[in-house]
Amino acid sequence: MACIGNKTNLKAALSIATSALLGTSVATTSQVQAKDADEWQFDTAYLLYSEVDRVTAGEAIIAGTKTYANDEILNLKFTVDALTGSSANGAVAQPNAQTFTRPSGNGQYVTPAGETPLDDTFQDTRVQLNGQWTQPLVENITGSVGGHFSKEYDYLSLGVNGNLAYDFNKKNSTFSMGLSYFHDIFTPEGGIPKPLSSMLVGDSSSPEWDSEFAKTRVGDSEDKSTADILVGFTQVISRRMITAFNYSYSMVDGYLTDPFKVVSVLNTEGLVQDNIYENRPDSRVKQSTFMQAKYHFDEGMLNMVADVSYRYMWDDWGINSHTIDTRFNIPVGRASYIEPHLRFYQQSAADFFKPFLIEDQSSIDFISADYRIGEMTAVTVGAKYGVVLTGGNELSIRLEYYHQMPTNSGFAEPAALNGLDTAPVVDAIIVQVSYSF
Amino acid sequence: MMQEKRTIKVSKQKDGYGITFNAMACSCEVLIQTSDKNLAKQVGLCVSDEVWRIEDKYSRYDRQSICSQINTSEGRKVSIDEETYLLLNFAEQCYQLSDGLFDISSGVLRKVWAFDGLSCECQHFPNQDDINNILSFVGWHKVIYDRHSITLPNKMQIDFGGIGKEYAVDRCILLAKQLTDKPLLVNLGGDLAVTGPREENQPWQVAIENPKSNKPEKKQDMIIAINQGALATSGDAKRFLIKDGIRYGHILNAKTGWPVAEAPRSITTVAPQCIQAGILATLALLQGKDAESFLTEQEITFWARR
Repeated sequence: MACIGNKTNLKAALSIATSALLGTSVATTSQVQAKDADEWQFDTAYLLYSEVDRVTAGEAIIAGTKTYANDEILNLKFTVDALTGSSANGAVAQPNAQTFTRPSGNGQYVTPAGETPLDDTFQDTRVQLNGQWTQPLVENITGSVGGHFSKEYDYLSLGVNGNLAYDFNKKNSTFSMGLSYFHDIFTPEGGIPKPLSSMLVGDSSSPEWDSEFAKTRVGDSEDKSTADILVGFTQVISRRMITAFNYSYSMVDGYLTDPFKVVSVLNTEGLVQDNIYENRPDSRVKQSTFMQAKYHFDEGMLNMVADVSYRYMWDDWGINSHTIDTRFNIPVGRASYIEPHLRFYQQSAADFFKPFLIEDQSSIDFISADYRIGEMTAVTVGAKYGVVLTGGNELSIRLEYYHQMPTNSGFAEPAALNGLDTAPVVDAIIVQVSYSF
Repeated sequence: MMQEKRTIKVSKQKDGYGITFNAMACSCEVLIQTSDKNLAKQVGLCVSDEVWRIEDKYSRYDRQSICSQINTSEGRKVSIDEETYLLLNFAEQCYQLSDGLFDISSGVLRKVWAFDGLSCECQHFPNQDDINNILSFVGWHKVIYDRHSITLPNKMQIDFGGIGKEYAVDRCILLAKQLTDKPLLVNLGGDLAVTGPREENQPWQVAIENPKSNKPEKKQDMIIAINQGALATSGDAKRFLIKDGIRYGHILNAKTGWPVAEAPRSITTVAPQCIQAGILATLALLQGKDAESFLTEQEITFWARR
């Protein structure tokens, strides 16, 4: 006689199979099956991001989803990031070696001649917790609320969000609206540098050092708040096609400067005279529009699902960006797929972005040489392979290559910078392994 | 097979309406507790359209059906839609859970097992070579499918007979619930489900036919009260074979190619959804003489006829 499962597994497995077939939630089936609904669905992932000669980040995620009776869904996500390596401090390369003081004020580091100055003290661990509760409110309206907590050694972020989605037109159309609010507190080691003040360089073991260093500081901590409004519309066009449109408006107020970044002050020949701490405006209004189309091709096109999206972002700092993201999900055999990914990104520089400052130029209010708000083009290419294992658990691996090319948005370079790489490219490899059970 | 006439009949009953129609070679019925005749008719049309849709799509007798397209594909890849994929996936789960006993590709075995209730004493008992020969065209594990397509090896066939009717019941309940909150029952030839208890929390009284009895007044000898969920019956006492004093039912063991010996004539089970009840009853029958103990061990409510 064949052995069919164990005692409780058959009923449980059948009710899960049935809910998959009928698109109903397991929990609504009946009290008899209530036990099955108590089970959590887990997704785990490990991601490694590694820039050539710069930052390496490892990230582990575990997310659990539990569906209750009446289609209520609880989602909890726990993330741990660890960051090590070096990050550009904003100063330009020079024909001679340069000395910089660490952000903490404890010691100095030297950048060899001809190299991009990198602060090698980057090391941080971040713990993040997100929770989201989603439930139907009235017919065709789903509500969702969530909370966010994230903590680093020198950073604390707290956030709340709420969303409403309205289905109509036989659930072929969905209109959604969301609000979120974040409050972040930044307490960098060594305090907040005084904007535009000169970086103190000298003998940090001398008795006067601490009092001199303190003169370049304005406090221990700063904070910022972010409020976002998101409006979205999703439309099923046909059985093969679905489209989505989003608009978001984001207001950030508070400390938006990066306390670890400086700007080189050059003489007319191009030699560094001074490094001053950067200063950014204390507010930023960001808007973006997003459109996406997914199309499910037939057998002639390998049953592929094409996912193409475009985002346009603009803000009152003068940055605008275009992102084109394409993914092609191609089934391979009975239970696996391969998904090539291509992403193109281009942004213009912020109005106050300058790769360096020339001495005796007229006075400035805001300045930053952070390449992340400069003009740049970036490309990501990669692929993901996923396989459904026996028992229904899914394993996937993603491998991507990221190439970022800063471009000079019309800054004439003095003679001493000739032949030096003042806009270095960033190359990174991304590897992610995910497992769902 | 001639198509039955596709009309529905609405009739007033004591505390609601009954809608009857024919589909899937059986008589079908919807009972709804409402005084609104238009609503009853609307629900009746919605349910019957859905049953006919599923019949057209998955009947192995209909040459236009996706089932026939797959069965005549001669080893070529056939495109499938999401619904078909989900049904195949469900069949796959049942195959796995039953360790291969339940197999939607076992239908070709009927070529050697001709069941006929009237000529019960075996006339065309196949020999083992015939069975072995046809068994090489059975085996769900040989079928390749994914979300978008299925490839069936040449000469193999699949058939949704073991799950189609029960699936239709569940689909109808889902659709009917979108139209009304009134209590209702969908019954497709004995496989049935209810949306919930009747008014004032009264259960539905469901009579199960006794296939052995030929006397009309004794035909329905078993009454089951159901508040929630579904009932399905597997087994057909009219179709069996007897050889060497052993009675074989019409349920075939996909692994041996033989009908299951000494199984109950029929088993009725309850489950939250009809398709679950149907599978549980079928899996129990496949256990032969151990059918009842199998269900008892799984803590499943059932009624068996021997």
